[in-house]
Amino acid sequence: MQCIRPVCGRAASPWKRKGRILDAYLIGVLTNVGLFSFLALSGYLLLIAGELSFGQQAFFGIGAYAAGAATAMYGAPLWLAIILAMALGAAAAFLIGLPTLRLRGLYFAMATLAAAEMIRILFELLHFQRVVDGELVGPDGTQGFRGIRWIFEAGFGPQDYLCLVWALLAVVLLALLKIERSRLGVTLRMVGEDPGLSSQLGIDVVRFRLGVAAAAGSLAALGGALFAHHNTYVEPRNFDIMLGVHGLAYALIGGLGTAFGPLLGVLLDIGLLESSRVLSGYRMIVFGGLVALLLVFRPRGLLNEALVHRLTGGKR
Amino acid sequence: MLADLLQNTLDGLAQGATYALLALGFTLIFGVLRRANLSYGAAIMFGAYCATWASLRFQSGLLVLALVTIAGAVLAGAYVERLCFAPHNARGLRPGNAAIASMVASFALWMQFEEIVTLWMPQHLYAFPALYEGAALDIGTLTLGGPLTLRVESLITLACATAICAALWLILYRTRFGLAVRAVIDEPGAAGLSGINVSWVLIRVFALASAIGGLAGYLVVATHGQVTPMLGMWSTLKGMLAMMIGGLGSLPGAIVGGLVLGLVEAHTQWFLGPQSRDLVSYLLLFVLLAVHPAGLWPRSKPVET
Amino acid sequence: MTTSVLLEIQDLVTSYGKIEALKGVSLTVEEGSITCLLGPNGAGKTTLMMSTAGILEPRRGSIRFAGQDIAGKAPHTIVAAGVALVPENRLVFPRMSVIENMQAGAYQRNDTAEIASDIERMFTRFPRLRERSAQEAGTLSGGEQQMLAVARALMSRPKLLLMDEPSLGLAPLIVAEIFSIITELNKDGATIFLVEQNAHMALKVASHFYLMEQGRVTFSGDPGSLAEDEVIKRAYLGSARP
Repeated sequence: MQCIRPVCGRAASPWKRKGRILDAYLIGVLTNVGLFSFLALSGYLLLIAGELSFGQQAFFGIGAYAAGAATAMYGAPLWLAIILAMALGAAAAFLIGLPTLRLRGLYFAMATLAAAEMIRILFELLHFQRVVDGELVGPDGTQGFRGIRWIFEAGFGPQDYLCLVWALLAVVLLALLKIERSRLGVTLRMVGEDPGLSSQLGIDVVRFRLGVAAAAGSLAALGGALFAHHNTYVEPRNFDIMLGVHGLAYALIGGLGTAFGPLLGVLLDIGLLESSRVLSGYRMIVFGGLVALLLVFRPRGLLNEALVHRLTGGKR
Repeated sequence: MLADLLQNTLDGLAQGATYALLALGFTLIFGVLRRANLSYGAAIMFGAYCATWASLRFQSGLLVLALVTIAGAVLAGAYVERLCFAPHNARGLRPGNAAIASMVASFALWMQFEEIVTLWMPQHLYAFPALYEGAALDIGTLTLGGPLTLRVESLITLACATAICAALWLILYRTRFGLAVRAVIDEPGAAGLSGINVSWVLIRVFALASAIGGLAGYLVVATHGQVTPMLGMWSTLKGMLAMMIGGLGSLPGAIVGGLVLGLVEAHTQWFLGPQSRDLVSYLLLFVLLAVHPAGLWPRSKPVET
Repeated sequence: MTTSVLLEIQDLVTSYGKIEALKGVSLTVEEGSITCLLGPNGAGKTTLMMSTAGILEPRRGSIRFAGQDIAGKAPHTIVAAGVALVPENRLVFPRMSVIENMQAGAYQRNDTAEIASDIERMFTRFPRLRERSAQEAGTLSGGEQQMLAVARALMSRPKLLLMDEPSLGLAPLIVAEIFSIITELNKDGATIFLVEQNAHMALKVASHFYLMEQGRVTFSGDPGSLAEDEVIKRAYLGSARP
């Protein structure tokens, strides 16, 4: 972590030319774009593997609580907390997927919804606090989990954290892009488009999807871990169905042809619309209408498979 | 103890009747379109807010409010149908992709409705004229030796729900329109070939489902005497839960699912409190989907999504 | 004696995404005929039927029925014009009764009394259906479902009956029954356009036939204009091309 800071410090200086308030706001928006991209990518992975999940927000929440607990309650460094969060996210996704990945379509979606809501309610019932430096720290049911202040205590500024989030996102994107060009990527899309054919070719579709679900769960958890530390406070209400379906919407409108799609979707909502002063208060009306309209003409999103195929010259 | 059990059963059935109506609406739409409408609850919420506005502005009576709720829900439903479902009916689009696009689009419109409603009526909570102002009926003291109250609202809800189910049955099995609806549900590919104008049927089924939902929404807000923007999420969740528990695509299943959900909730809440109540409902659905996804009262032919 | 052309398809192109299933098909069906479309699997025969019935929208070309252009119209509009399709795989309404299936076929008609007497007529023509009139169509055997699908299509009193592989999956005895029904219907005045895998049976009843391969019509003639074994060979295997 320490070595990134000086680089970010230098790279961040162009921001300092603008006024300080706009500065901080923009950094906040961009950080959020990065955070929620992990959630959107999580939904995207499962979608291209052929399953619709209404439950990725649960892993986002698990990542948030786990990482928060690790740093705020047990003094672990952020990198360790993130690894822990991702492991737990993967494990939870795997466990939920085991009995449900045989299901398809709306059946699977509702199963993930049920699981995610159960997890959220469990967070509402979770009271687990420790005394740290004379204060009670930890999840307190519906009151949430305050005091996740690791990044401030470690001396990270907002632009440093922004760099961290985007550095991690860049790593994930690079990995995903590499996978999409590989045989694994082809298998992934084939399993999504034609599971029958995939089975006949010897692929165990359910096991494959379990693997994808675990990866998606760890991605969402990564986002959640970063979210918890950015916000310093999380509560169960943050991780409701709205969050999950938003993530899906981002993935779908950005486009299912490439890992950049979900990122684009998040940028469009949080980036453009959130920061547009003109639309304040009407953001959801505008965004909601745009999404529905866009889907009429592009049911697979802006960066859909056809476009990506054309742009990459058909080499896949 | 017995009185408690009976009380919870009564309350559970009344609540379950509402869930059954919501589930019926979802199932009708799913039956003809093979896609879930995530805006269903939001359209109902829109109708409820229209009625709230009417009640504040005109002090309208019960019947008028019920009709306004229904009208608002049908209007909102038509908007959703045209924007999220009709465009993806196109011949040639793969059904899986159409389903996802429709669902996410309907979610987007749900977001729209929530913002519209909160901009229009900014208070978090509005009072709504009660369905019945008066004491609940005590039907237990003489017969069971302990109080057993039946709220009049519950009675009205159960009566309305029964009437709607009967009317729906008549429509489906005794009218030409109903024949067309069942044909589209049964074998959509062949319906057009038989000369049925499928889009025409879809529009009307959507309106019918929205109307049923609107009435259910009215009964809920009039029973609780208040309306909040959470009505959208609540109706959507309960409706889909009940639909899946009963069996996706099955109309009798929707009724069974709704009643079962109501009963499970009432009894769980009594023994374990409100949070656990929801936990148990979701657990029930999860387990059911894991071991018997066809539901408690499935269609004879399982539905592919 | 001049017979009029009931159905005229010209240069029809229908695609699935980028793949052209029909690459410019032209053919005619004369009124009062039994016209047969033969060809190997994947030739595009079903695609042609579905394009004519309105289930698929053609990209280019025309389909004229009794003078009207019906290409690209919705299926129910085409039924109203007088064309009815008995689809591949029958597609009966499985949870509706036999009678209800037939009533569905008559959906566009308002003449209740006539509809009832037509149903009677169907039961006379297909006695096995009468025994099962109240049964759910999904419980019928393959042959009975095929008869029901034909009855359903006939209920709209079509001028042109399209049939897509009526013998598919049926035992030879039933197949013979189906084909005798086809002959009967034709004698009673129906024009039939038939897609068949069973070239042998088809050629026995057809007054004219076409061969389709890879999205195009490759041969047109009367039975007898080509030696039967040559026809059968090309119907199942396609023409030998170097």
